[in-house]
Amino acid sequence: MRLLAALIALLITFPAWADCPLDLGRGTGIVIFSSHYLIAFRPEPLRIEVGEPFSLLFNVCTKNDKPAELVAIDAQMPEHKHGMNYRPTIVSLGDGRYRVDGMVFHMPGTWELAIDVRAGEESERLSHELVVK
Amino acid sequence: MALAASAVAQTPLQWSEDEVRAIARHGPWPPTAPRDPSNRVAGSANAIVLGEHLFNEPRLSADGAMSCATCHVAGRDWGDGRAKAVGRAELDRRTPSLWNVGLAHWFGWDGAGDSLWSQSIRPILDPREMAGDAGRVAGLLREDKALACGYERAFGHKPGGDDEKLLVDAAKALAAFQATLISPRTPFDAFRDAVVAGDREAMARYPLAAQRGLKIFIDAKCSACHFGPRLTNGEFGDVGIPFFTRPGEVDSGRLDGLGKLANSTFNLLGKYNDDASGASALRTRHVQRLHSNFGEFRVPSLRQSGSGPFMHNGHLATLEDVVKHYSEVNPERLHSDAIPLVRPLALSADQSADLVAFLRTLSADVPSRPAPPLLCP
Repeated sequence: MRLLAALIALLITFPAWADCPLDLGRGTGIVIFSSHYLIAFRPEPLRIEVGEPFSLLFNVCTKNDKPAELVAIDAQMPEHKHGMNYRPTIVSLGDGRYRVDGMVFHMPGTWELAIDVRAGEESERLSHELVVK
Repeated sequence: MALAASAVAQTPLQWSEDEVRAIARHGPWPPTAPRDPSNRVAGSANAIVLGEHLFNEPRLSADGAMSCATCHVAGRDWGDGRAKAVGRAELDRRTPSLWNVGLAHWFGWDGAGDSLWSQSIRPILDPREMAGDAGRVAGLLREDKALACGYERAFGHKPGGDDEKLLVDAAKALAAFQATLISPRTPFDAFRDAVVAGDREAMARYPLAAQRGLKIFIDAKCSACHFGPRLTNGEFGDVGIPFFTRPGEVDSGRLDGLGKLANSTFNLLGKYNDDASGASALRTRHVQRLHSNFGEFRVPSLRQSGSGPFMHNGHLATLEDVVKHYSEVNPERLHSDAIPLVRPLALSADQSADLVAFLRTLSADVPSRPAPPLLCP
């Protein structure tokens, strides 16, 4: 409910985001945003298992409805300051949608995703913490 | 008095919800064994029999004196009990156990192999070990009547004329056999299942010293690396073991292993991968070579770990030495600028004994292995 309320508030504030499709299928996902970008993503498979490869499906939108690009993605464990042993690849699916393959969280704990996005000359890093058990 | 003491001794420790979750993650055991899609004969009964015969076959080696079983001895937990492996020369690393090797995704202490079959080729060709070659292996499969018959049963056709392909097929049969080496259930598994079921009577049968040791194992976050049912995450770490092999020479571990992986004809990106989907090569495609890989070695499973020596180079003789190492490890050696994954646990003598008691419950007696069935009776 709180997520829904936040999204409604966002859409009122930035009407262009109303055109940003947040449905990535299977009825679930994570939404993060900054003053310029709105990003929806979900893992595939939905449950991330320690040591098992997974993908991320992304939809990247901008406040002013300019085309946005997912430039890079990485992850690290903030507690131990080490990253992944694997380098993910990004495939554009068109219309701001992306698929990221080759993610592996090889330890249980908190992982911080670093998501680099760009719209024209404007780039930004958004982050989100995921806990795997 | 004796009755009271016994009753007290059989009361299991209290476990928090987080501890129960942590214990549950180390099972159930045995797991459902996955079938390797990169090996078209994985799980085939005929290939497993052929693989066991090849495993014990000294004619795969250059001088006919050494087989896989020379170092991977069934009665020694599929290792050799030596600090460092001995082939035609002494090597720099310990012979790893083959228990549960079919559940791994990287092979060798440095992870230079990305499949069990590609890893099985390495010691056959290594001049310091069996010093064999593709022609020798192929000739044996073509010319030895029993092996040729076993090959035909396993692969559905007679051995062909391509030596390298026959070497790979021999390795795939070897892998099919090795993937059957699943370690037995242990006292820990009975305790783990009892904890999950909330069966305090069954929990009480697990020694108290082992229970205390398990609490230390959980509190110390050993399962960050020794994760899951196999008690390894299958990846790599530097835990402060010296990596000098001799004056002026180092074993760079994973860093070198990744270089070998990339250059291998037999990696999963190559033509011998039987998985047309390419999914089995995902880790190989995405793994990255980092400076931090220097001095990292594969995190070993703690199941059926044998009586030692331990660590990638046999540096520690006993389980007590291993616990002492983690109790006293020098954090300066690990160069961490964050919360280090390995830090000195500063255990008391009693705590060290408890941790050893827990680690011993991850092993069980194994019945002696019968001779393999005939290839073509």
